[in-house]
Amino acid sequence: MIVSVSAVIGRLRSVSSGIAPWDLSDHRRAIPTAIAIVVLGAGTYGAVMGAWREPLQALFTGLKLPLVILLTTLGNTLINAMLAPLLGLHLSLRQSLTAVLFTFALAASLLGSLVPVAIFIVWNLPPLTTTTQLGSFEYSMIQLVLVAFIAGCGVAGNVLFLPVLERQSGSRRVARRVLLCWLLVNLLLGSQITWVLRPFIWDPARPVEFVGPEYLRGSFYETVFNAVRQLILEQLPLHRP
Amino acid sequence: MNTNVPMPPPLQPAIGPSPGPGPGSLRPLGDDPDDRISIPGLAGTIEAMLRYPRRVMFHLRAPQSGSLIGLMVLVALFCSLVYGVVVGSFSGESQYWAAPVKIAAGLFISALICLPSLYIFSCLSGSEARLMEVLGLVMGLLALMTILLIGFAPVAWVFSQSTTSIAAMGSLHLVFWAIATYFGLRFLHHGLRHLSGKPAGLRVWVLVFLLVMLQMSTAIRPIVGKSDRFLTNEKKFFIKHWMEQFDGGQAAQPSFRRP
Repeated sequence: MIVSVSAVIGRLRSVSSGIAPWDLSDHRRAIPTAIAIVVLGAGTYGAVMGAWREPLQALFTGLKLPLVILLTTLGNTLINAMLAPLLGLHLSLRQSLTAVLFTFALAASLLGSLVPVAIFIVWNLPPLTTTTQLGSFEYSMIQLVLVAFIAGCGVAGNVLFLPVLERQSGSRRVARRVLLCWLLVNLLLGSQITWVLRPFIWDPARPVEFVGPEYLRGSFYETVFNAVRQLILEQLPLHRP
Repeated sequence: MNTNVPMPPPLQPAIGPSPGPGPGSLRPLGDDPDDRISIPGLAGTIEAMLRYPRRVMFHLRAPQSGSLIGLMVLVALFCSLVYGVVVGSFSGESQYWAAPVKIAAGLFISALICLPSLYIFSCLSGSEARLMEVLGLVMGLLALMTILLIGFAPVAWVFSQSTTSIAAMGSLHLVFWAIATYFGLRFLHHGLRHLSGKPAGLRVWVLVFLLVMLQMSTAIRPIVGKSDRFLTNEKKFFIKHWMEQFDGGQAAQPSFRRP
């Protein structure tokens, strides 16, 4: 199935103006189109992220970034579909899946549009060498800027989809509540899937691999909790035995 | 499949406290034709719980609400068993069957322990609700809770396959339980408002119900981790149990790890 770029952009434009993807004339193509946008937009952006390390990492990150989005959407399909009616928005399972996919598709299209900027940043930073460390400026910079782009596009994708939910529910309050809940649930699972599929840019301790065996252990939240705990305990040396 | 819940006669008056003017007034059950549509089968019950709670409340007040209550019990049982399997997948082995049994039993026993107090509270607040109606609402609470837990099951599974920390997994299940309980209690609250207008003492009952469920999770432990015995004889308050898990969890972890 060949979908022209202008048709895809037209569909995204319609959605961001408040027309639900399932109300479009060719609504049966909504889900495949959203997946294609995610794969293309996030995949290209991911490839640029990984390219800083080496071409194989570019390939892996190009595959992993869309995979994070699609697995998160799939894993949360049920709970997202349940939360919407409970919060006052009557959507079917398919509609809520399409809605969440389209928020990601909007974010991915924005990410895709930032690919030239990301290439420019990666190209301008010192390359990875044997002397590069986790605390090196270039690695910190690439992490910060590229992740900030992802966060910004994610927020923008959700804001752009808000009119659709508002029109469906007839209430801005309900639309915001549903979108916020979806965001929280997606953040919960998405951060763990991202944790499992890491690294996206570089891991000095491991060769380039799609998913290393040790990445399947531990969770994102445990690590954050332990880090905070350690930080607090280090600040209180008198309380230590 | 049909639920055998008879359609209320067309002239049946709308059910509920008299709708008075003002912001707190309720539209009586049955006012909306949607409320009167029958609830067919398990899938229909799940859909009605999520999308049309008023329909469930209306049918609970119908003379033959037993079959709907039965369906809600089945939904709650099935969903709690499925979620229990996901909880058990953290430790594996015997927990694959022990966790579902404990979770399902714990939920139903907690509900039965608290049912009499809810009925009495409801009666004392001037309600003419029958025990069957209150039972129906409590089963609705359990059904909605467990349906939502099923929604969280894929997320819980992803985490249970990644981490070896009992404290982390226990906390995650608690968060899911809290969210599910919130929506379940919201259903119960709306249902009771239709029964008695203003359910007095509901906040106290909710507190009691939460405490009973939390203590139940400790009484039937281990649910997340492993043990040689199905149940433990040691009596412990749930807060103390949690503190021990967080403090000693790191040291005790290896013995609980999956093979």
